[in-house]
Amino acid sequence: MEETAGIYFFSYSGALGLILLGVFAMVTSRHIIRIILGLMLLEAGVNLFLIIIGYRANAIAPIIVEGQNAAMVDPIPQALVLTAIVIGVAVQALALALVIKTYKAYGTLDTKELAQRIAEESGTHVIDGIPTEEKQV
Amino acid sequence: MNAIWLVILPILGAFLLPLVYRQNTRVGTWIGPFILGLSLILAFGLWGDIAANGVQTILMGGFPAPVGIVFYVDHLALLFVIMLVLGTLVLWLGKEKGNIQEETLLLLIVAGGSGLVLSGDLFNIYVFYEIVAVASYGLAASRGSYAASLRFLILGALGSSLLLLGIALIYAITGTLNLAHLATHPEILQGTVGLTAFALILIGLGVKAELFPVNTWVPEVYTTASARISALLGGLISKMALLVILRLLVLLYDTSAAHLLLLTLGVLGVITGELAAMRATHLRQVLAYSSIGQLGLVAIAFSIPGPAGIIAGIALALHHALVKPALFMLTKAWGKQLSHLAGASQSLLTTILFLVLALSLIGIPPLPGFWAKFLLLKGALATNIAAYQMVITVVLIATVIETIYFMRIVRVMFNTKPPPIKAPALQELVPALVFVTLLFISVLNLGTIGKSLEIVATSAADKSIYMNFLPL
Repeated sequence: MEETAGIYFFSYSGALGLILLGVFAMVTSRHIIRIILGLMLLEAGVNLFLIIIGYRANAIAPIIVEGQNAAMVDPIPQALVLTAIVIGVAVQALALALVIKTYKAYGTLDTKELAQRIAEESGTHVIDGIPTEEKQV
Repeated sequence: MNAIWLVILPILGAFLLPLVYRQNTRVGTWIGPFILGLSLILAFGLWGDIAANGVQTILMGGFPAPVGIVFYVDHLALLFVIMLVLGTLVLWLGKEKGNIQEETLLLLIVAGGSGLVLSGDLFNIYVFYEIVAVASYGLAASRGSYAASLRFLILGALGSSLLLLGIALIYAITGTLNLAHLATHPEILQGTVGLTAFALILIGLGVKAELFPVNTWVPEVYTTASARISALLGGLISKMALLVILRLLVLLYDTSAAHLLLLTLGVLGVITGELAAMRATHLRQVLAYSSIGQLGLVAIAFSIPGPAGIIAGIALALHHALVKPALFMLTKAWGKQLSHLAGASQSLLTTILFLVLALSLIGIPPLPGFWAKFLLLKGALATNIAAYQMVITVVLIATVIETIYFMRIVRVMFNTKPPPIKAPALQELVPALVFVTLLFISVLNLGTIGKSLEIVATSAADKSIYMNFLPL
């Protein structure tokens, strides 16, 4: 039992660490590539968390074989993680495609600068998220 | 007919559309309206079916409930599907035709939205939510506004990951993902972990529902995307996410803590949205911030326990789904700084449309907006809980602020000193006209609509109906 408790402790803290690291990177970074890297960490953390939920010590793969009734790991989280990984990769690919387009159009990947540019295009200025009067130039 | 076609038809259409366009452009332009019309007929047929025979559940692949994946079809879900399909169909009537990418994504988002409200399984909700999310990133970028779309994507992906984490937490403590199965033992989810899961799901779904902390994408996307896309995302898609939140509240989190959490987010949304709308100087931004405020009102209504809150929420959601897309469609000709609107009153029809829509949004009787807000106030008063009664003040102050910013726009429109702007073509006004016609039809049938909404809401508020199909 001691041994399995150690496995759970390590893997749960690993998943939690990845999630917190990912959210921290996404919230504090200004460069979009860094934010996307943070997103990848976050998704990896969530996926790892799902896998640990289904994990059981000394269990076999969830395939029914005649005459065998050993404990099996929970197959549902594994199916969920497969789906989540596919969705995650697709979203990341879309994000990187948009990064290329954005860099070609604006020449910068700094989110604050991009927000400023978007606001200027529509004729307003956003300062700390609050739209203000049009600047008379 | 089976409700599963409400999801399959638009997906099929989405993948057929580019192929057909390559063969024959004329046939291609008709695919979208045809598919949506078919879905609409199907949805109305199902409505009658459910009224006669009670709610339907569809078991995917024939596996029985807690193990298999279910679609749960009741009047509430169908009402939102009809709202989405009909709204998209009306938005299709505009002048723009033949944009293959945009039309494909529109069909895809309809499929995802229908799946989202019909789904009775948490993980399916996540998958459909991602379909809606990815389609909306594409739609936001369809006019070359890549930066706004990218910033939207980052927030949306963060939200989706947190949603998945919340679902994983629920699975970890209960071992099931089926909503009805979860509803049999809601007490498991009342602890700290369960409420954390709810908060995570709320943030995740809140990105689309424009809830308070995660709605920074709204003004950027709605000013840069085309009018049709802003109308769709703000008016229709946001309601689908709110409906899922309502389902979770009714089935799994019928506790004051969860209700108060949603109430707080709703109140903060109303206050920040309306105050920002007052300061905004761009017509689209005014509408975007006002949409945040209106969805906050819907969230407040859904957080009121019992059928009264659900009735008010549905009424507010339906009203907003008619008015906001119409207002966005009007901005196609005007979508600029407010000062550019000077002299816009030259084109009489557009001005009348704008006035009617704005007055209804503010809530002037006899327009339906008044009735929806009245239901909200009535529901909040009936609760006898101090927090809800204090919310009435917020709603009334928000109404005053709405009056201020809409009347300011109207004042500019009637100011004729500078040379008047070009009047929009009649064809551009078709979607807005249709929405306003629907609005007037609903004014004339307020009694009937009110009664049927009451039936819808009472059956939606009753957990036992939802759990009926479980073979337990």
